[in-house]
Amino acid sequence: MQVHATSFPFLTSLLLCCGLGLAIILLLPAHREREIKLVSAVFSGLTLVISLYLYLAYDRDLGGQQFAESWEWVPALGIRFANAADGFSLPMLLLTGIVFFTAVLTAWELNYRVKEFFALTFLLVLGVFGLFMSLDLFFIFVWFDVSLFPMYLLIAIWGSTRKEYGAMKLTLYLLAGSALILPAILYLVVGAGLSSFSLITLMQEAVFSPGQQRLAFLLLYIGFGILAGVWPFHTWSPVGHVAAPTAVSMIHAGVLMKIGAFGILRVGIYLCPEGWSYWSPVMAFLATAGIVYGALVGLSQTDLKYVIGYSSVSHMGIVGLGLATLTVDGLSGAVYQMFAHGIMTALFFSSVGYIYDRTHTKAIADLGGLGRTLPRASSFFILAAMTGIGVPCLASFWGELVVFLSAVRVFPIYGALVVLALVISALFMLRVVQKTCYGPPLERYAGLDDMGNGAMVPRLILAAVIIGFGLFPGALFDMINSAAIPFIEGVLG
Amino acid sequence: MVPFSHSLLVAALLFGMGLFCLLTRRNLIMMLLGIEVMLNAGALAFVAASLHWQQMDGQAMVLFILTVAATEVSVGLALIVALYRRTGSVDPDPPADRQLAAQAGEGGV
Amino acid sequence: MMSSPPIEVVLLLAVALGLPLTAFGVIMTLTRSQPRVSAIISLGAIAVAFGASLSLLIAHWGMPTPLVYEITWLVAGELPIPLGVLLDPTSLLMLTVVAAISLLVQIYSLGYMAGDPGFGRYYGCMSLFAWAMLTLTVSSSLIQLYIFWELVGLASYLLIGFWFEKWTASEAGKKAFVMTRLGDTAFLLGLILLWLNLGDLSIAGLNDPQVADRLSPGQLTLAAVLIFGGIIGKSAQFPLLTWLPDAMEGPTPVSALLHSATMVAAGVYLFARLFGFFSLSPAVMTLCLAVGTLSMLLAASMALVSRDIKQVWAYSTISQLGYMLMGLGAGGFTAGVFHLTTHAGFKALLFLCAGVLIHHFDTNDIFRMSQRGSRRQRLTLVCLVIGAAALSGLPPLSGFFSKEMILAHLAVHAHPFWLAAGLLGSFLTAYYTFRLIFVLLRPAAETPSDDAEGHHHSEPFGELCMAAVLVTLAGLTVVLGFGQGALTHFLSAAAGAPPPAPAHHLGWLPVVVLTLTGAAIVAAWWEFARQKRSETGWVDRFPTLATLFARRWYLDDLYRWLLDRVVYGGFSRAFTWNDQRVIDGGLDGLGQTVIDWGAISARLNRSQIQFRLMVLFAVVAVLVLYLAFA
Repeated sequence: MQVHATSFPFLTSLLLCCGLGLAIILLLPAHREREIKLVSAVFSGLTLVISLYLYLAYDRDLGGQQFAESWEWVPALGIRFANAADGFSLPMLLLTGIVFFTAVLTAWELNYRVKEFFALTFLLVLGVFGLFMSLDLFFIFVWFDVSLFPMYLLIAIWGSTRKEYGAMKLTLYLLAGSALILPAILYLVVGAGLSSFSLITLMQEAVFSPGQQRLAFLLLYIGFGILAGVWPFHTWSPVGHVAAPTAVSMIHAGVLMKIGAFGILRVGIYLCPEGWSYWSPVMAFLATAGIVYGALVGLSQTDLKYVIGYSSVSHMGIVGLGLATLTVDGLSGAVYQMFAHGIMTALFFSSVGYIYDRTHTKAIADLGGLGRTLPRASSFFILAAMTGIGVPCLASFWGELVVFLSAVRVFPIYGALVVLALVISALFMLRVVQKTCYGPPLERYAGLDDMGNGAMVPRLILAAVIIGFGLFPGALFDMINSAAIPFIEGVLG
Repeated sequence: MVPFSHSLLVAALLFGMGLFCLLTRRNLIMMLLGIEVMLNAGALAFVAASLHWQQMDGQAMVLFILTVAATEVSVGLALIVALYRRTGSVDPDPPADRQLAAQAGEGGV
Repeated sequence: MMSSPPIEVVLLLAVALGLPLTAFGVIMTLTRSQPRVSAIISLGAIAVAFGASLSLLIAHWGMPTPLVYEITWLVAGELPIPLGVLLDPTSLLMLTVVAAISLLVQIYSLGYMAGDPGFGRYYGCMSLFAWAMLTLTVSSSLIQLYIFWELVGLASYLLIGFWFEKWTASEAGKKAFVMTRLGDTAFLLGLILLWLNLGDLSIAGLNDPQVADRLSPGQLTLAAVLIFGGIIGKSAQFPLLTWLPDAMEGPTPVSALLHSATMVAAGVYLFARLFGFFSLSPAVMTLCLAVGTLSMLLAASMALVSRDIKQVWAYSTISQLGYMLMGLGAGGFTAGVFHLTTHAGFKALLFLCAGVLIHHFDTNDIFRMSQRGSRRQRLTLVCLVIGAAALSGLPPLSGFFSKEMILAHLAVHAHPFWLAAGLLGSFLTAYYTFRLIFVLLRPAAETPSDDAEGHHHSEPFGELCMAAVLVTLAGLTVVLGFGQGALTHFLSAAAGAPPPAPAHHLGWLPVVVLTLTGAAIVAAWWEFARQKRSETGWVDRFPTLATLFARRWYLDDLYRWLLDRVVYGGFSRAFTWNDQRVIDGGLDGLGQTVIDWGAISARLNRSQIQFRLMVLFAVVAVLVLYLAFA
């Protein structure tokens, strides 16, 4: 893989934006809430601008890793602070930028421990950005853990329903994953004997035996897969989603779960292609199980956020299925689906959060008729549900279509099952829409105020991205193809 | 000249007495005293060894032990006083464990 | 094939396809709260689109070969997904029909929906519906067709559930979406199967007979059956037919659009579009014939007992779609498409007439309507009778010609059994249609003052719009049949159309059909219109049969049972239980075990600190002794 250096360290400046924002928030006194929110908005907006610039400036014809930068960190161990971006990571960086910015705007109404909340959010996103751009296994592991630990506090302090349980479960689960990733990384680095943690060096120079690759890939798949909500390691995700505050749910489901899938791709598949093709039937089975299972369990949930949590399990299964097909279109579709699902689920949680803040309930049975009382919030909710169902010309559709296509080719039975699961996902999404937004307006919600213009902004951004990439999916697929095609050619010949 | 073994025996006896005090007294101040005695037993052994082998290292170590003991006593006593002010007790076990121990005692253990 | 298209074609297409989408976007984001502006935008867009499609039709009349223009929408991995148009007689005809019906329905809605709080949203969704269906008709590839097929489903979901505060309406929307989705998954699988085996989904390519050489017969049949599954869902054929009668929960103009030119027509249109492909598989053609016949008879039987005017028309739609599929399945391409066209006209007319009556009398029940004096709605009833006569196949109305064509085709090219079924169907159709007409024509039982109950306070302008549309459609219904020759000629150039078969003139067939129809009308008159009428249809004399028909052959109960028992009560509950008890229970158990072990080991470290110190010293002493003497 070619690596192209850059004259200006854009990627590091992306990290610096988060770091600087974090520092300024920490320095501000806690009662200056308005200033803290402004600083957060400015710096998260800046990350969005930089990631958007990188996305546009990336040379798709040139391909490879661009904007590369690399500094010595611990020479004795071969650890370098090396970052770069390619067609897989740029959509993720853009996704993070969008979700981060909109999450900060969504949290505008927050008024409890504002300083700590935004500081932890910045720390969380710092880890996410770092992981998506890092080319060094040591840093990938560090960023992974950096993005995990603020989650615990964010859920445990600002959460709702069973927040201690949810936070603890999530943290323990993800730390278990991290406990599998670290040995796998060390095993690979030591096994290569190159005394280097560099992903590129290991990819190009290290020779791993098939046995090594199978073992390491399994560890990495489960370790990162826990974070990606792979069935049956998914139960932390609905509980965590439900417990987390709105903005954290957005980042969590929108971005954090993508870290898992991205880790499988960047570390597992890049370094252990043999292990990948060895385990791919298992991956396909687990993904299919997750898709069907998530949709069916989602059918009988009574809590609004649980429904979305299980829909995430189902949708992330589609990502897993795409990764399991060992094909270019499967890989492209999976990465596209990661992006689309991130935006969709952010919009979902954003509108559900708004509804929850007004009605103070997430029980589906207590809601109804919101289409009349909260028309704007309901519109966004319905848009997100339609995206989740996979209605064409909305972003999610393309990822699903392409993944299904490759899945039916490689795993016909699983592919057919997954396509049938579309009906179930339509059923459970429409059921939720019907029970919350439709029906006669309820007396007790008569006086609720609908979204003002300020609250509309983040939701409008997300909706515009969904529709934009739904109408012009090529803009994203071209980017992903520029990484997927050479990669598959290089790995599978 | 006192034989080396005798001084060591005295040091051992002192150490045993300090240990006995530490293990049996249910008063933090007395326990601290026991520790001091044990420390001094160690210091005595150092002095004896220094005399026996005619080297100054042992003497230096004794000075060091004295300093540490002094600071330790002052910090320790301060802690005990603070604890007493807070709980009104100089018992070494926390209240919950005291109850447990009492129950265990009743149970005949 | 990829020659650059003439500029005027591009312009016309851009106008026809782009304007409704723009209208949808503008209305939904900006003018939703301003009814008048929204209506003007939407109407303007569809009117211009209609003009453009009409001029395209005229410009391409007698066009020698189909025109295909494509650009690449996206390349996913190595799969190009094209976006393009295929202009041939079938698509141009359908494009014009869709645009025309959409335009008329939107004009009609000016009166019908006046004063509705969701007026702006209504026109937005109408634009979306029109856009999706227009683009569907000209799609150049199956994948593009599928995409817009789904969008049509979305638009009809939004419109069926338009009055979302009514629980039944949202329920009907959900039912329509999920049931058609079930068919769509089959369609998607069939499409993927073709894609993987052929690598190309262009409609022109699929209709090429050489496809049969590139696919094994098994694959070909499987793919065709799967795609036909999509048609079953969308066109509400057996066994997925029960969503359509429920879909009348939407506003009546929506039903008119849904039943005539858009949603359900899409299914039959797809069959016509891929006619060449389907003809390669005789098994699927027979399946099509069987499903069409079964649906036609089932739906007709349901219509015999319904008292709800919209439901009667809904059943008649299923039944007429069954006719079209019978015609197509028997190889009568022109007959099927022609019936699709004429049906679009008279079914829209019937629904819009029903809309006027419902608007006026505030009830869907035909017996209540006649009690409240439906007879006095002269213009509406005249139009209704014209539409009903067309539906029953009375000359010289459009329905007569198209139905005649289908039956003639069945008589010549298919087993006599299918012809017999078709004739039975046309008897039933005439019977239930005129049962409804005769009931409505009865003298009112109540005094006219009761009229005040109805909410006919519409402004005169709205009334005018509605009347104008009815008259236009009635005129079309009268005239369209005479275009049979021209249309047949025009359609023979379509992609996938078989070479025009030599015309068969079966002199006996019209006589038989008309005799049957006449008998049915007399039967209906005997029971519902003569002086000493019995007021009970012959079906009502068999209560079991009447219940069976009224309960829709228990199909809904079957689906309800499947959904409640198997999906919700079976899988969903079992998996939820598994999630909570097995996975989470196991994890929580693991956590609890760890905590318990921690508690046990913590006991060792509890109690007196001095005891522990003693143990410590004892251990050290023992160790020292051991090391010293061992």
